[in-house]
Amino acid sequence: MAQNISAAPEQNIPFWRDERVLGVFAQIGFIIVVILGAKLLGTNFASNVNKLGESQFICRDGSFSYRCAYDFMGSEAGFDISDTALDYVNTDSYWYAFYMGLLNSLKVGLLGVILTTFVGLFVGIARLSSNWLVSKIALWYIELMRNTPLLLQLFFIYFGVLLALPLIQDASPVLGLPIFLTNRGLSIPAPKFMSAAAIWVAFLILGIIQFQVTWILLARQEEQTGRATNRWARGLIGFFIIVIAGWFISSSVSDTQGLLTSKASRIRDVGDIEKVMLNRTNLDYLDEIDTLSPEEVDAAALKICVLRDSASEPNLIRQIERIGAPYTVRRFDRPDQVTAAYVEGDCELFAASKAILAAERATLENPSAHLIVPVKESPIVWSVPRYDGTNIFGGSKLLPEFTALLIGLTIFYGATLAEIVRAGILSVSKGQSEAARALGLSESQRLRLVVLPQALKVIIPPLIGIFLSLMKDTSLGLAVGYPDMYQVTFTTMNQSGRAVQGILLLMVVYLTISLIFSIVLNWYNSRNVLVER
Amino acid sequence: MTMNVNANEDVIVCKDVHLWYGEFEALRGVSLTVKRGDVIVILGPSGSGKSTFIRSINRLEEHGAGEIVVKGIPLTHDVRDIAEIRREVGMVFQQFNLFPHLTVMENITLAPINVRKWSREKAEETAMKWLTRVGIPEQAHKYPGQLSGGQQQRVAIARTLAMEPEVLLFDEPTSALDPEMVKEVLDVMSDLAKEGYTILAVTHEMGFARGVADRIVFMDYGEILESDHPDEFFDNPKHPRLKLFLSQILHH
Ligand SMILES: Nc1ncnc2c1ncn2[C@@H]1O[C@H](COP(=O)(O)OP(=O)(O)OP(=O)(O)O)[C@@H](O)[C@H]1O
Ligand SMILES: [Mg+2]
Repeated sequence: MAQNISAAPEQNIPFWRDERVLGVFAQIGFIIVVILGAKLLGTNFASNVNKLGESQFICRDGSFSYRCAYDFMGSEAGFDISDTALDYVNTDSYWYAFYMGLLNSLKVGLLGVILTTFVGLFVGIARLSSNWLVSKIALWYIELMRNTPLLLQLFFIYFGVLLALPLIQDASPVLGLPIFLTNRGLSIPAPKFMSAAAIWVAFLILGIIQFQVTWILLARQEEQTGRATNRWARGLIGFFIIVIAGWFISSSVSDTQGLLTSKASRIRDVGDIEKVMLNRTNLDYLDEIDTLSPEEVDAAALKICVLRDSASEPNLIRQIERIGAPYTVRRFDRPDQVTAAYVEGDCELFAASKAILAAERATLENPSAHLIVPVKESPIVWSVPRYDGTNIFGGSKLLPEFTALLIGLTIFYGATLAEIVRAGILSVSKGQSEAARALGLSESQRLRLVVLPQALKVIIPPLIGIFLSLMKDTSLGLAVGYPDMYQVTFTTMNQSGRAVQGILLLMVVYLTISLIFSIVLNWYNSRNVLVER
Repeated sequence: MTMNVNANEDVIVCKDVHLWYGEFEALRGVSLTVKRGDVIVILGPSGSGKSTFIRSINRLEEHGAGEIVVKGIPLTHDVRDIAEIRREVGMVFQQFNLFPHLTVMENITLAPINVRKWSREKAEETAMKWLTRVGIPEQAHKYPGQLSGGQQQRVAIARTLAMEPEVLLFDEPTSALDPEMVKEVLDVMSDLAKEGYTILAVTHEMGFARGVADRIVFMDYGEILESDHPDEFFDNPKHPRLKLFLSQILHH
């Protein structure tokens, strides 16, 4: 009986209507199309490469082979890159230059993704605001940004806004804050990491682990005794003890910072500076310095020389200011320039890392007449930008090219994202908001706890697309002269004549970045899939 | 049991409430006083303004004129007063409106933790108590989508009760349910009525109206046309439109 029932319908399906047969055919057809397409592209590519000639594939030993297609990347790049995350000089290899470009692309892309998320969320919510003005402003912003080309916006921001900012000669703090905005970029206060920071971060991690362990142990204890303990307080106290102790330990064990000074200066230690200065000014205490005339103070000031933007400067200055000694600072681009000034007698102290100082001291005429004095270092020093009348130094500087690209990408993709956020929020039924209100949740709780988590389900898939586009559009940096991966490769291709290799390399790297991005985001998305009917 | 429990206290006072949707006047001068412990059923044809009226009590709709006072707090634009009133007034919807991304337990504890600022332990304990009350403690860790309609509506009731409101508003709580699930929800509502909750319910369940209500209110065209004890209401209707309404619903 049962056999009859299950077998009967199988009998007379013609194969051209059998879904299984059709499925197999469809797959075979697809594979054939792919193979033909690949073959077409492949032969075309090969013939182009052949036309370019063997010279494209010279190996180091002078022979020719396709395997040596990228050997040229090992040779000297020869061009400068205006903005690099790591130290780079134009004698570094093409590979290293490409790496600098990649880091720049990633820096702009990742920062852009983060800022875009905030802008998109904020504007998308504002767009739905019941406040007429707020929602209209959001609407205009979105329409303006989405309906003009990104390239045009970049040009406008770069040439129309950033380069139209005050010249550096007219720099003044924005709103009285230690922030400078000029046509050479934006300078903001920033932490500088000393070598001791690595040790301190280890303590930081230790503190977090400690917090976790305490938390779990106390939770277990609570379960056994049934009595509540203050898990937060106890975990945090332990955390801060470890982190603060770590601060002092890391700053006392690390010993990379120093001062180069002549034996005659009688400075053997940073603490000696006080004595030396008291001697020089004929005062009993340095806080009486106000009693001297400005000229006298200037004459007595300690002459310090440093490398421009080095962390050694804020680290030492902090200690000198604590002593209260008057000082002047001169900044140079290269160590040998400082040494030259030092030899001239323009610098009493040369502050830098001990490695640099040792090398420079060896170049002096009589090295034994000069000392390298150790300087204590904090793991992190806060560096504030200052304006000395001709230049802005200290802090962290964002170049106009970088700023233009970052702002351009953020406001363009922020507008796109805002529309998606709006659609996501609207996809959550009105009943959800009503239930949240009826339960007494505040408006922000309603958004945060009820609406947004549900809207995310609709928002995240297109969000992945937006992030990927943003990442790829960092290549528009070319338009404003930001040295991203694309621009560096472009220069490389022009100089070396290796266009095919350059384009292939770019494609592979962009593809890899995109794949990593979508894998991570899809993984996040799949974790957020709701259990619903 | 405590001193401020006064059976005769007016919990909800509505005076000449008007409400407009644009040009359209959905409530045209509704006045109603509800005392502590009253169970009031609101009847009326579709579109008569029943939902609009009870939704204006917890400010899901904003009335345009007249006065609504809940537990002595006048309903105005003052967000603190609105929040205070919403804490005292719970609401159960026709479509349940459970939060699909949260488990049953999280649905129930969300407001106590975030609004009443209870600890998670206390909120979960209370939630289990209410789930047991509505008869489904074993469903605590499922998602709403995994429950039947009747179970979902009972979760919604437990979620409302967990905030410990004094007044309960029901807007056709059984209308979206299959017939065999209606009874389980009505049973819970009857129990709550007996326990002394102040209840305002819009429902077409005549058995519930007759058996449980202290008073039945008939609305049409945004007005209250009749308000009476159930026996009098059904056996001796006075307003012609109520007579017509009753003849229509009771004859099938
Ligand atoms: N948001 C709104 N905008 C405009 N008009 C509305 C809105 N909500 C309700 N109305 C109108 O107000 C009137 C009263 O609606 P309400 O929902 O209160 O009726 P009801 O008595 O609950 O009806 P039902 O029994 O069908 O639920 C109806 O005419 C309806 O069309
Ligand atoms: Mg209704």
